[in-house]
Amino acid sequence: MIPTIQSIHIAGIGIVLTSVFMMDLRILGLAGKDQTLRQTTQRFGPWLMWSLVALLVTGVLMVIGEPVRELVTVSFWLKMFLVAVGTLVAAIFLRALRNNEQGWEDRITKRFSIKLMAILTFLVWLAVVVLGRLIAYDHIWGAWSPAHRL
Amino acid sequence: MNISEVLKSIENTDIASSIRDSLFLFPMLESVHVMGLALVFGTIAIIDLRLLGLASTHRPFRSMTSDILKWTWMAFTITFLTGALMFTTNATVYFHNPVFQAKMAVLLLAGINMGIFELTSGRTRRQWDTSASTPVAAKTAAVISLVLWISVIFLGRWIGFTTTRTSPKEEAAPSELNLDDLFPGAADDSTTPNKK
Repeated sequence: MIPTIQSIHIAGIGIVLTSVFMMDLRILGLAGKDQTLRQTTQRFGPWLMWSLVALLVTGVLMVIGEPVRELVTVSFWLKMFLVAVGTLVAAIFLRALRNNEQGWEDRITKRFSIKLMAILTFLVWLAVVVLGRLIAYDHIWGAWSPAHRL
Repeated sequence: MNISEVLKSIENTDIASSIRDSLFLFPMLESVHVMGLALVFGTIAIIDLRLLGLASTHRPFRSMTSDILKWTWMAFTITFLTGALMFTTNATVYFHNPVFQAKMAVLLLAGINMGIFELTSGRTRRQWDTSASTPVAAKTAAVISLVLWISVIFLGRWIGFTTTRTSPKEEAAPSELNLDDLFPGAADDSTTPNKK
């Protein structure tokens, strides 16, 4: 059962990571240039949101199934923090784009700060993947791991 | 040299033993492997959903493939390399593991499916490039592709649960713990978490 839920969780991560990747590549001008920014977010925004919901559901099931393995780790809580950061940035971006579509299309995406944000948010989601895998190896944090103290 | 000697010599390479000896190299390889496969699966799913007429239907198929597949191959290369490095650490066990064998077979089938698509409906893509509806053969290839790649994810995750010698560190830390240690005096019925 646990491996099945983990596998669904990984498939969900595939959709989250790819959706963020495609939107970020569009901002950076590295993919999807035949599409407007709005077309790109309309294509991938809902997939990002719904797969995050699926990850939350499978994630909660895994925590219920193995509360100690998940909760008594640095990796888990760091991961939750970065998931919150990534989700918040995505929500703010999608809202800002909705409110000023033309401005983003013409000017805002060309700003260096926005391109930097695109790279940073992708790195945040990559770090989420690493921390997710590290839950199984929390002892590599040494004394930082709460399990170390027990 | 027979196959078991080949596998042994792979395990005895410097690279294999330094991964085994390191506390964090194997987990890092796994993490990068997950990043790679996440992007391989996700980008292939974008193309498959277009073929099925379920998403991106307004977008010409050929501009999507030229736009996206280069990233798929980049991610696949990363996934392949990290997978190969993990394989070296315990080649004999992986090689004889039925789940690993099944995963390799499914990857091969995914490649064959792609090849068949290229030789059949892929050849006529000019005709349906801008159309939301695609030939039945293309839709079939897309369904097969999605099923195979999802299977790859499941089989891959299962390998970690069937090759215990591979990563003795995995799942090891919490095994000495149970809920009673965390909440002394709580329920006395054993709630020791399952190791896997």
